Amino acid sequence: MNLERVRAGALLGSLVALAVVGCAIGTTTTMGSGDPVADRQRLMKNVGANWAEIQSKVKAGNAEAVAVNAEVLSLHAQRITSYFPEGSLSDKSKAKPDIWQKWPEFKAAAKNLENRAGTLRDQAIAKDAAAVTTTVATFGRDACGTCHTPFRVPPPQQPAAPRS
Amino acid sequence: MKIRHVKTGIVLGSLIALALASSATGQSMTKLWTSDAVADRQRLMKLNGASWADAQAKLKAGSIEAIAVNAETLALTSTQIPALFPEGSLTDKSKAKPEIWQKWAEFEAAAKNMGVQAEKLRDAARSKDQAATEAVAKEFGRQACGTCHQPFRVPPPQPQQPPAPPQQLQPR
Amino acid sequence: MGLGSQARCLVLALLLLSPALLSESAAAQAPSAAELARGKYMFGATGGCGCHTVPKQPVNAGGRKYDGPFGTVYASNITPDRETGIGGWTDEQIITAIRLGRRPNGERLIPVHPYTVFNGMAADDVKALVAFLRTVPAVKRANQPKKITVPMFESVVLPAWLSAFAPRETPPAAAPTSGVARGEYLVRAVGHCGECHTPRTMTMATDNSRFLGGNPKGPEDSEVPNITPDKATGLTWSEEEIADYLGTGNKPDGDVAGGLMGEVIEGTLAGFKDMTKADRLAIAQYLKTIPAVKNKIGQ
Repeated sequence: MNLERVRAGALLGSLVALAVVGCAIGTTTTMGSGDPVADRQRLMKNVGANWAEIQSKVKAGNAEAVAVNAEVLSLHAQRITSYFPEGSLSDKSKAKPDIWQKWPEFKAAAKNLENRAGTLRDQAIAKDAAAVTTTVATFGRDACGTCHTPFRVPPPQQPAAPRS
Repeated sequence: MKIRHVKTGIVLGSLIALALASSATGQSMTKLWTSDAVADRQRLMKLNGASWADAQAKLKAGSIEAIAVNAETLALTSTQIPALFPEGSLTDKSKAKPEIWQKWAEFEAAAKNMGVQAEKLRDAARSKDQAATEAVAKEFGRQACGTCHQPFRVPPPQPQQPPAPPQQLQPR
Repeated sequence: MGLGSQARCLVLALLLLSPALLSESAAAQAPSAAELARGKYMFGATGGCGCHTVPKQPVNAGGRKYDGPFGTVYASNITPDRETGIGGWTDEQIITAIRLGRRPNGERLIPVHPYTVFNGMAADDVKALVAFLRTVPAVKRANQPKKITVPMFESVVLPAWLSAFAPRETPPAAAPTSGVARGEYLVRAVGHCGECHTPRTMTMATDNSRFLGGNPKGPEDSEVPNITPDKATGLTWSEEEIADYLGTGNKPDGDVAGGLMGEVIEGTLAGFKDMTKADRLAIAQYLKTIPAVKNKIGQ
């Protein structure tokens, strides 16, 4: 086997593959800003705002109305891992290096949010106010905390609830 | 044969590159073109409808600032639209028109426009200005959604029954 | 000259001058601002004459293609251009085309333009509409000739079909101004909703026994919804929701009108969205009163 030719082919193949992958990733990971840190912070802010709205709806006795917010959480959760490419830790980011050291756990945590939000949504669609209230009571810890605790540097001050 | 060696190299190189790329992004390659793009985008669009309906209900109730979260959700989902329409994803279940791929630049622009309109709505709501929010909301359906649905979607044949409140999403 | 001959001169002069006097008084009756506003409103209530406009191209300049069992026709240029549009037609000629489907040269219009339905418009409304049409910017675009594939279509088939099958609206003495009667007028005549929403018989005429019952094979290959009050297969939205939809395209589930309905709501220089809330509510009220038709469109 002529190794030189194989190497040439390997280089060619890798470049093409990477170009293809790069194009594909490009359309799914960025929100147009090209900055994964900014994009994921924007996503998380919206997650927080929807979660805040869920809580206020339940408080107002309107538990069945949370379906739309829960669905938002479920869909946003699907996007999380794509906003944490290798090497995207920056000064602005609150992400911990543990994310990449324990990637399967990070992935599982995102999936956990997706699943729990889906359950909440289904309970709301079924108009089961009692189930919704029960889920919401521990949702913060079970769906958000399970990821934030190991993988995010806690904010030093508690900012006001995100409005959007 | 020399070509054979090169080809082997190409295959090997591609596989290695792809493996490295997917581990770097932490994503399995099958996620990039989702296995059921039609179902995924219909789910996304349903959420868009529910978000917009919710926003209209809030507007009616005078809850102006609360609209911002719906608008931001719409802005965020709009960025996901083009990726949900990979080439060759037209199926019986899909209401997408072939024009999407014939006029891809226009389609992308329409998705981007949805984001721009949604951000406009969001910013008006954040400012708590009722008149400004109402002005944007008045045109929003046609400007943010209609401008894409018009050329690129086959309209539903039945008026949706019964009128669905915002929370009527299909369980997965 | 005696008195008699002077009188004869005067009578002769008056007779000779009378056409000039009459046409001068006709020309002096330029449409008022109020009439033009009414005309524009009517224009919007028909959906902005969108059939005469190719999307994104000049309004009313024609050229839009319609295929049918008769062959293919192209919408006419109805801008005021004198050579290629209707600028050289009189008001009566335009009204005859709109209502009765005849051109000044005697040619019959293929009823893609629904003249039997527009015949249900009140005279004042049509007159105002014509006045408005004359203010739309003139565009030079020659009409594309039609391609009729059915032998003896215009001479024999069409007249026979019109007299035997085509349901025909008749105009009220004055257009109703409010309530269900107003809604009926806007739906049956002005908005010509049945042209898309009513199923067709084998002869391709609208089946008015199932008025607005939906059409699985509508224009441009669309599946057009059943908007009768049938609980299972029709429209069950509230009046408020219907009125809102016509004004904005927003549906109760957050979806937004697209396709041809989206086009007529948006309109061209005016559309359904420009109708008053009262009129849109009247339409909704009327829709609640028509017979429910069981007809499931689509899956």
